[in-house]
Amino acid sequence: MDAFTYFAMSWLSPELLGLTALGTFLGIYVGAIPGLSVTMAVSILISFTFSWDVNYALCLMVGVYMGGVYGGSRTAILLNIPGAPSAIATALDGYPLAKQGLAGEAIGLSTVMSVVGGFVGIIVLALAAPTVSEFAITFQPRDYMMLGVLGIMLVGSLSGSSLARGIFAGALGLLIGTVGLDPMTAEERFTFGVIELWDGINPVAVMIGMFGISEALHQLHHMNKAVIKQKISRIIPKWSDIKKYMPLSLQTSFIGVIVGALPGTGGDIAALMAYDHAKRTTKNPKVPFGQGAKEGLIAPEAANNAAVGGAYIPMLTLGIPGDAVTAVFIGALFIHGLNPGPLLLVEQPHMFWFTVGNLTLANIFVLIFGLTGIKLFSKIVECPKGILIPLIFLLSIVGAYAINNAIIDIWWMLAFGVFGYFMRLYGFPVGPVILGVILSSLTDENWRRAILSERGSVSDLFVNTLHSPLSVILLSIIVFILVSQTPIWRKWLRPKRFR
Amino acid sequence: MSSQFSAQKTRKPGERLFCFLLVLGSVYLFWQAYKISGFSELSSPGAFPLAASAVMILASCITFLNTLKSPAVEGMRFKDHCLPPIVAIVMTLILVYSVILESLGFILSSFAFLFVTIQFLYRRSLMYTLSISLLALIVVYIIFRLVFQVVLPEGIVPEREILSSIKSLWR
Repeated sequence: MDAFTYFAMSWLSPELLGLTALGTFLGIYVGAIPGLSVTMAVSILISFTFSWDVNYALCLMVGVYMGGVYGGSRTAILLNIPGAPSAIATALDGYPLAKQGLAGEAIGLSTVMSVVGGFVGIIVLALAAPTVSEFAITFQPRDYMMLGVLGIMLVGSLSGSSLARGIFAGALGLLIGTVGLDPMTAEERFTFGVIELWDGINPVAVMIGMFGISEALHQLHHMNKAVIKQKISRIIPKWSDIKKYMPLSLQTSFIGVIVGALPGTGGDIAALMAYDHAKRTTKNPKVPFGQGAKEGLIAPEAANNAAVGGAYIPMLTLGIPGDAVTAVFIGALFIHGLNPGPLLLVEQPHMFWFTVGNLTLANIFVLIFGLTGIKLFSKIVECPKGILIPLIFLLSIVGAYAINNAIIDIWWMLAFGVFGYFMRLYGFPVGPVILGVILSSLTDENWRRAILSERGSVSDLFVNTLHSPLSVILLSIIVFILVSQTPIWRKWLRPKRFR
Repeated sequence: MSSQFSAQKTRKPGERLFCFLLVLGSVYLFWQAYKISGFSELSSPGAFPLAASAVMILASCITFLNTLKSPAVEGMRFKDHCLPPIVAIVMTLILVYSVILESLGFILSSFAFLFVTIQFLYRRSLMYTLSISLLALIVVYIIFRLVFQVVLPEGIVPEREILSSIKSLWR
């Protein structure tokens, strides 16, 4: 059979088609519930699909993965609670849009752009898998470290009016990410002798607390405000909007594929980088970023779905997971007797094309289910606050407990929730805290690897950085971002008529 | 960067204290980071936490100093702005719910939490609150416990026995 036959396998078999549809549908709802992660859902699926035929199992899991990454945006837009870390950036502008009564339009637009991103990811996976994976494997620890620094510099985008407050929040997140046993030396860091802290603080608990609990507590101030009726008459986005935002969507999709293809990174980092890209490149947004800019909604959504295709590249071609879900997928493939790695494309090319075809199908189902379920989903925000807020608390608490079936995660979630509430009250952004927690281990570990490989010499590290074109590009971007924040640069850039 | 480092124009009640506590907290965390491996090596386990906490100290000091300079908002009291009774009561309810969750079990504690909180925030008839709480609990239970098999605290309700007896009815 040729590549096309393998590609179309799941399209032509009713069982495979049905399983992909079911997986995508479930994935959307799993992704939308904070605390229920796609990784968790795929892990659970492995346990009851390992006796199935490998194609059936993969169809269901691929659907859950694709749907789950998209689904996280729904609660981010409607309730300001990202269903998954990859939807953190979506909440920044998606929620303000919902507050203006435009939830239907926001979800419709995010659905279409997620699908566009998904397709870009799949096309790159199909066409450039070997090349992209070769590029990704050339990344040195110092490059990963710089990638982490770049991510942390996004606080400039997420910090609102005060950069100092944003930097504080980002650094706090980095510090929270270091809690537990050091992965390189097993030394205790900020554990205060508590064994439960050896595994660190779960980022999902921090996320639910900072976004869910603090937002719900904040909402209590506005109990008497009338519920905003969501305009759900226009679910299919305007063609003019699609045309207008398509270039940005494509640009951020490519960011998503590249970041997704880098082992250890994933949709969350891709989405944040895409958000930053949109903020920097959009000259005159109709609505400012953070207050409901459609660009701020589209960019992360296109990127995080494109990252799915990207994450498959190192998984299928090198056997290295692109993110947590693909790490679970590798386990599933091994269980089914497949060997993901450089030889997979040679020995089992059908698996590659079957996966590409299946991802394409799942992406189409995201469009179908994404656009048809909006009316029901939008009703959630029209629910009276007196009912909705207790439900958010309940879901947050159960979601935090579901991470490890441990009460300690609830305590952490509540502590961060109350702290996040006060942060919000006094103008501290909570987004950078989550960003810091996510990027902490990537930056910390790679900084130490980089400096160890240079035997502790900062000057050697710098010299070697200048000898690598890739490192030079990354360093130049960092320097440019730093310089672009200075008053001298802004004065120079400002048009003469404003001087 | 000066313009971006500028704090908010007015100061909310309690903001000065909050920012000061952040400075103190940052210094404490820096001390804890120092205790990991001191200033020994750039690749030591404590190097990154030291750097992060140093940044926290710097950023919190800038914020605190800006807060000192900015004038207070007029006509706003701490009690109304930060901890109005509704927030304080709901915080207490969440705390009580988290404490009793393990001992009382998910079903009973969640039902009690939903019932009390919805009644407090929504103020409708008891029957209405009762049905809404029950319906919400059933949906959450089905999603988390039955579909995703999340093991929730059982407490005093013999949940597994009830589930297995329901299952046996279908056999």
